[in-house]
Amino acid sequence: MTHEEIRESLAAYALDAVDEDARRTVETHLQACSECAAEVEALRGAAAALAAGVPVVAPPPGLRAQVLAAVRGERTTTRVPRIWIAGLAAAAGLIIALAGLSFSLSRELAAQRAQLAAQEQLVAMVGRPSARAITLQGTVEGNVRFVYDPQSRQGMLVVTRLRDPGRGLVYQLWLVAGQTPESAGVFRPAPDRPVLLPVTADFGRYGAVAISVERAPVGAPRPTSAPVLSSSL
Amino acid sequence: MSVDNDRVGGDEEAFLRRVAHGDERAFRAIYDRYARSVYSLAVGLLRDPQQAEEVTQEVFLAIWRGAAQFDADRGRARTWILSLAHHRTVDAIRRQRVRAAEPLDPAVPAPSDAAEEAIRGVEGARVRDALARLSPVQREAIGLAYYGGYTQEEIARRLGVPLGTVKTRMRDGMMRLRDLLGNARSEVETT
Ligand SMILES: [Zn+2]
Repeated sequence: MTHEEIRESLAAYALDAVDEDARRTVETHLQACSECAAEVEALRGAAAALAAGVPVVAPPPGLRAQVLAAVRGERTTTRVPRIWIAGLAAAAGLIIALAGLSFSLSRELAAQRAQLAAQEQLVAMVGRPSARAITLQGTVEGNVRFVYDPQSRQGMLVVTRLRDPGRGLVYQLWLVAGQTPESAGVFRPAPDRPVLLPVTADFGRYGAVAISVERAPVGAPRPTSAPVLSSSL
Repeated sequence: MSVDNDRVGGDEEAFLRRVAHGDERAFRAIYDRYARSVYSLAVGLLRDPQQAEEVTQEVFLAIWRGAAQFDADRGRARTWILSLAHHRTVDAIRRQRVRAAEPLDPAVPAPSDAAEEAIRGVEGARVRDALARLSPVQREAIGLAYYGGYTQEEIARRLGVPLGTVKTRMRDGMMRLRDLLGNARSEVETT
């Protein structure tokens, strides 16, 4: 689009009345055109004044503590050098998982908080030099990785894509010590967002991780079927 | 809208710069200054306290993460924060509409129409006066966009007018609003 065409859309852009594609087109142009950038800023000022048009409602009292806690959680992760996160996360394919996780922000609040905490833990973990990431493979198609840090004993199963296990069934994660599988929790994949399953363990004791299909909701004390996905640690 | 006296004071831009450096106290001050405006906007447009709470949390996390992108040479902190809040709220409205498959056909009235209601019920005296000085069709287009969360294409379909007409109405109306509202730089709404 030309400068003239973009100019025609700036008011709509400032009102958030353009779709995502048009929004990106305008933003790319704004990077290069200081005239349009200045105009957008003025139009945004006018649009922001419209916010005073809605009735004033006090936010719920608990929200402040929640927001501050979320921010404090992020603080601990920002100490990790960002370059580490970028490098390791890209290697592990976690960028996709992390991008997908932001969708969870608009979901049900309890799930959101749990997910957010797990996300923060994941980011902190992949920032550590001792962290490792492996991909589980087997008889079902999917995108399932296990990220773990032997030093801090923290691990996380990251399920970005995996088919539903079927009615009344769950996936169960196992840590395998010698020939003995020990349960590390159950999960069901979500169609529209990654699922994170945190695991705390002395990973030096285990030679492999595996996933089998077991009965919902709690799974089984020992695997009742052959693993559908696995990897050595 | 009344604004509480607070610790942020006049230089909110400096507070955002401190937030960009990870200053939690500055962030708390920004929260205390803007939580009410952000939440009011979200709940006023979304009509759903639960979703408004989620959006408000999203907005403040985005402020915390993105304060470094705020450019004080370009604009004011207030504009940056309220634009962010509006954008996130509109995103949530659009997700809500996808779920509810809300009809946009002009022949079928939309079930919960926050927009027209919002235009009629505008609270701030300054905003109400400014909107009153627009032509009715400009007011309608801007109201459907800002308070209704509709795209210009949806508004054109809804009103049964060409897209170019909607663009012109928005553009002329926003220019007028900019002159009436946007230049009050030291303003804090005091009604
Ligand atoms: Zn331009």
